[in-house]
Amino acid sequence: MAVKRQLSMVLDLNKCIGCQTCTAACKLMWTNRNGREFMYWNNVETQPGLGYPRDYQNMGGGFDADGALRLGRQPSQEDYGIPWEYNYEEALMTGTDPWLRPHVKPTWGANWDEDQGEGDYPNSYYFYLPRLCNHCANPGCLAACTRNAIYKRQEDGIVLVDQERCRGYRYCVNACPYKKVYFNEQISKSEKCIFCYPRIEKGLATACAQQCVGRIRWIGYRDDEEGPIHQLVEKYQVALPLHPEWGTEPNVFYVPPLSPSKYASDGRELDEPRIPLAYLESLFGPRVGEVLDTLQAERQAKAEGRESELMDLLIGYNHAEMFKLS
Amino acid sequence: MTLRHLLYGTAALAMALTTASGAFAAHPELNPNVTEIQPGDTVKASRLPADIYLRIQNDPDDLIWDRLPMYRTTLLAAPPVHESVQLRFDEGATRGKHLYFQVARSSERFYIRLHWKDDSENRATTVDDFRDGVAVQYALGDVDTSYMMGSGPDAPVNIWYWRADHEQRIENLAAGGYGSTTRLPEQSVAGASDYIQEAVPENSEWHVVMSRPLEAEGEHQVSFERDQVPMAFALWEGSDHERDGDKRVTHTWILLDTGANDTES
Repeated sequence: MAVKRQLSMVLDLNKCIGCQTCTAACKLMWTNRNGREFMYWNNVETQPGLGYPRDYQNMGGGFDADGALRLGRQPSQEDYGIPWEYNYEEALMTGTDPWLRPHVKPTWGANWDEDQGEGDYPNSYYFYLPRLCNHCANPGCLAACTRNAIYKRQEDGIVLVDQERCRGYRYCVNACPYKKVYFNEQISKSEKCIFCYPRIEKGLATACAQQCVGRIRWIGYRDDEEGPIHQLVEKYQVALPLHPEWGTEPNVFYVPPLSPSKYASDGRELDEPRIPLAYLESLFGPRVGEVLDTLQAERQAKAEGRESELMDLLIGYNHAEMFKLS
Repeated sequence: MTLRHLLYGTAALAMALTTASGAFAAHPELNPNVTEIQPGDTVKASRLPADIYLRIQNDPDDLIWDRLPMYRTTLLAAPPVHESVQLRFDEGATRGKHLYFQVARSSERFYIRLHWKDDSENRATTVDDFRDGVAVQYALGDVDTSYMMGSGPDAPVNIWYWRADHEQRIENLAAGGYGSTTRLPEQSVAGASDYIQEAVPENSEWHVVMSRPLEAEGEHQVSFERDQVPMAFALWEGSDHERDGDKRVTHTWILLDTGANDTES
């Protein structure tokens, strides 16, 4: 879907420490109230892992090779995790309950399998994958809506749900393979990440990017050749979309994670990364190896005291250069 | 009528004939007082005499309904008009379904009463659940209007939509083509419903009454001052995740004789 300009985000997975500050920033700004309590428009999941909502990568949705919508399953409330609250007042203030406990028995949550990952010591591995709406160029949610309630803004490509048109049919929830559209029971309508457009319109970065302590996020327009997105996606080609095979053409890109080498059973270091290349390719497509080689080489240059424009960019010295919103 | 329904009907008939039980004889599918209506047929709105007092305006189980003619029509899967509607795990809507209806007018209001069998009472609209629903659609023009949500803005339809998650709420809607369903500013349709639970779940039923003052308030509201109004039904089964175009409908129109210009009474 052609738009005049496209805002975009790049996230460097080598820098994400899984602190969830982005998640908290987003939740505080948009989803801690009014039926949105279970939603995480931004979440950070451990990969390999089931993610949020649970097992979303196997729920279908998106497009097939012919560009037709693929059947997608709707996550259950349990797949999202039923939000719980603690009895702080009774347990800690009035003392009327001897136990501090949640008001429902927690059985699953957005980050339930945090840090589990895969593999056995000393070759166990995991990394963090922050996820938000990809504001796709070919949004599955938009294609699936029978009422044209979902639209993509011409000026910045942000994908929004028109709350006047939405009648809560949830085709969008099923169609988004990233499961980034949510059904709000209180208003019987679907809602999603709005790329903090009220902030963007004031020239401010999204809450998740602004608050990121690891400074892993860059925001800018795809067509701004001086901007960070063009540099990382087009010029150096080190940022890749998540699951490009789902056919939605995401506008959120990830710099894939390097990892230390694997150990042989006798303790020797092997010439093989801890995170299997095939696994990363299953997430970010066939170019991962090439990207990791570039990162390795540029990192080495910096370590040897040579210049590396790419590394300087990835370090992210100041926000003014990381967020180019004009 | 699908094979499944034929078989079911045959089985019920066989049981009614071979047992002395009055319960089977009273099975509504065999009720001789029910008139089978095909699309294209005309049904006449009964006139509620002025001396009949409805204690509760929209009581779905009011005794009056036992005294008015009852019609039955078969709803079939709606032709899908959007890719999304075909992407479904549940194929419930592909089976035919009987809908019973009665139409009546008093000197002030127009009433429609609907009932159908439903083995599950789906009242919730949640992340995990879809609600049951029923709707009656009236063409604002004549029978040339498409029964599939009208034919564009110049040939719209008025829709009364009862949804199980709000027992009293009937949505008064208008549409002029697929995807254009819009809530009208005037919410003048009232209604009520009752789910009658039976020991055999398959015999459980929804009873719904919807009514509106005879006079149309807005431009997209059906007028009962016309002699004939094309009318059609739609039914959604929540347990099969039905919503939007995933539904069973009347194919083409049933003609409502409103009795507006009758001279009697």
